[in-house]
Amino acid sequence: MMDLDKIIASLRDGKHIPEETVFRLCLNSQELLMNEGNVTQVDTPVTICGDIHGQLHDLLTLFEKSGGVEKTRYIFLGDFVDRGFYSLESFLLLLCYKLRYPDRITLIRGNHETRQITKVYGFYDEVVRKYGNSNVWRYCCEVFDYLSLGAIINNSIFCVHGGLSPDMTTVDEIRTIDRKQEVPHEGAMCDLLWSDPEDVDTWSLSPRGAGFLFGKREVDQFLEKNNVELIARAHQLVMEGYKEMFDGGLVTVWSAPNYCYRCGNVAAVLKIDDDLNREYTIFEAVQAQNEVGNAIIPTKKSQMDYFL
Amino acid sequence: MLPEKRLLTPDDMKLWEESPTRAHFTKFIIDLAESVKGHENSQYKEPISESINSMMNLLSQIKDITQKHPVIKDADSSRFGKVEFRDFYDEVSRNSRKILRSEFPSLTDEQLEQLSIYLDESWGNKRRIDYGSGHELNFMCLLYGLYSYGIFNLSNDSTNLVLKVFIEYLKIMRILETKYWLEPAGSHGVWGLDDYHFLPFLFGAFQLTTHKHLKPISIHNNELVEMFAHRYLYFGCIAFINKVKSSASLRWHSPMLDDISGVKTWSKVAEGMIKMYKAEVLSKLPIMQHFYFSEFLPCPDGVSPPRGHIHDGTDKDDECNFEGHVHTTWGDCCGIKLPSAIAATEMNKKHHKPIPFD
Repeated sequence: MMDLDKIIASLRDGKHIPEETVFRLCLNSQELLMNEGNVTQVDTPVTICGDIHGQLHDLLTLFEKSGGVEKTRYIFLGDFVDRGFYSLESFLLLLCYKLRYPDRITLIRGNHETRQITKVYGFYDEVVRKYGNSNVWRYCCEVFDYLSLGAIINNSIFCVHGGLSPDMTTVDEIRTIDRKQEVPHEGAMCDLLWSDPEDVDTWSLSPRGAGFLFGKREVDQFLEKNNVELIARAHQLVMEGYKEMFDGGLVTVWSAPNYCYRCGNVAAVLKIDDDLNREYTIFEAVQAQNEVGNAIIPTKKSQMDYFL
Repeated sequence: MLPEKRLLTPDDMKLWEESPTRAHFTKFIIDLAESVKGHENSQYKEPISESINSMMNLLSQIKDITQKHPVIKDADSSRFGKVEFRDFYDEVSRNSRKILRSEFPSLTDEQLEQLSIYLDESWGNKRRIDYGSGHELNFMCLLYGLYSYGIFNLSNDSTNLVLKVFIEYLKIMRILETKYWLEPAGSHGVWGLDDYHFLPFLFGAFQLTTHKHLKPISIHNNELVEMFAHRYLYFGCIAFINKVKSSASLRWHSPMLDDISGVKTWSKVAEGMIKMYKAEVLSKLPIMQHFYFSEFLPCPDGVSPPRGHIHDGTDKDDECNFEGHVHTTWGDCCGIKLPSAIAATEMNKKHHKPIPFD
């Protein structure tokens, strides 16, 4: 049996985790996640979190500002990896919390939780740099395929990474998707992870090249048909941390402050209480120096092969 | 036959990687890099040849076009690329053949047709309003094409192709990046060299190989960076990054550059940059699937047939729903919007951060 608390402590400190340990964490996570539905049922009170993008120290700040996993229930809307320094530690920390407190952490898949995207946008590079091979990246990608596609809070709030799909009008239809695969380039599963809300009259082509743009009409139809009052999603940077649209029927929550260590934005999480009241907590990026003056920089690893 | 995008699959990439076209093009880049060993930016070769002057005139015309399309819409509110970039792009595209003809009158109509697409695509993607090393590559293909057609003589022009032409191109790109808040295409976040460029680091490393005092670790000394920014391409890039990134230091926002600064000699850095360019640009499908093959960059046999559309400047170019287009490698193709550091810096100047509430 793994000592999760010890691993959690190492991860929080950004310390190296042996490859064998990562393998076992990923295997155990798969076994746990495969039993969850495409749309996970979650009870209030719960705190909804947006994109993390490997910003481990900001993830730790998020927990500190919002109560912590020992006392609070969380839904993470995906995009745990890519772009930041600590994609691996951020993702593994969330997996450990999932294993340690299965009923308190819900992890939804983002468009970055795929092989193709992580190969290009940093996670693969990070793993190869930290381990000298890509095995750990492969283990994590296996876990990605088991993440849920959405969550529903008290049957009243629908959570998803990107947004809606013209191919799926009900939550029950989402439950029929075979999700255990690489994110396809089109279709409902793709749309849930890639779509964006926009001031458009009807479904429109997304400039991202995947997913759709959807407007108020589509949101209102979805809310009414599924008898829910809010769609909570992430996927887009919001400089103010969160942004409500369509008369409060949809909210974008963004949880990576100073995104990519340079965008200068604040971040937010959204707490939903038992009466479905919304409370946004705003937080800023961790300073570049920790409290004892050491720069929060990954420890030196072997140099890139090109320069040996 | 107009230039065409042909690389779609990993098998295509294997054929490309083993092809004479890639070998010849790579040699071209290396020849240019070798030619600036020990040269400061101002130590270009004189007298400047007529063909280099013509290329500088061409770039001057492009620079003039950058002045014609000020940002008006969403000047203060949008965090993403400015749509006026499309007006700039359209004007370049409409005039590229004429500009090339006026500067290089010996080129035939067919040669102009082959070259103009690379000129059009040197400045960024019209639809996504982004820029990355793939667009920088297109500019180098333009230079390679002019060399293939006998305009440039490498024994005479290679140094000035870097120290005059490429540096002027880089200046224009910095104008476009800063003015239109171009998004980084295919950004690796902190795991890349730069948001936009690769070759200034490569050429810059070669410039520094014989330097007696500056070391790779010198990039952490801000005084040295400012002192040498205009003399060496590598330090110019570091200065640009320091200017646009809001975080504390290179170690924080640019770990790859920090890592490379630990290499002992510039010769090793230069050698590594060549390897890295081959691996990270010329061997990456997300970038190379947008590569145009042409008369002077012939496509190896056995590669996927051309896609149904030819570049004609329409909005549909680079549409991702075209049959056969690689969707399993989303990366650079299905661009993921990422505000540039320039945009973030500008926004910070205009707005106070909201006071956090709990």
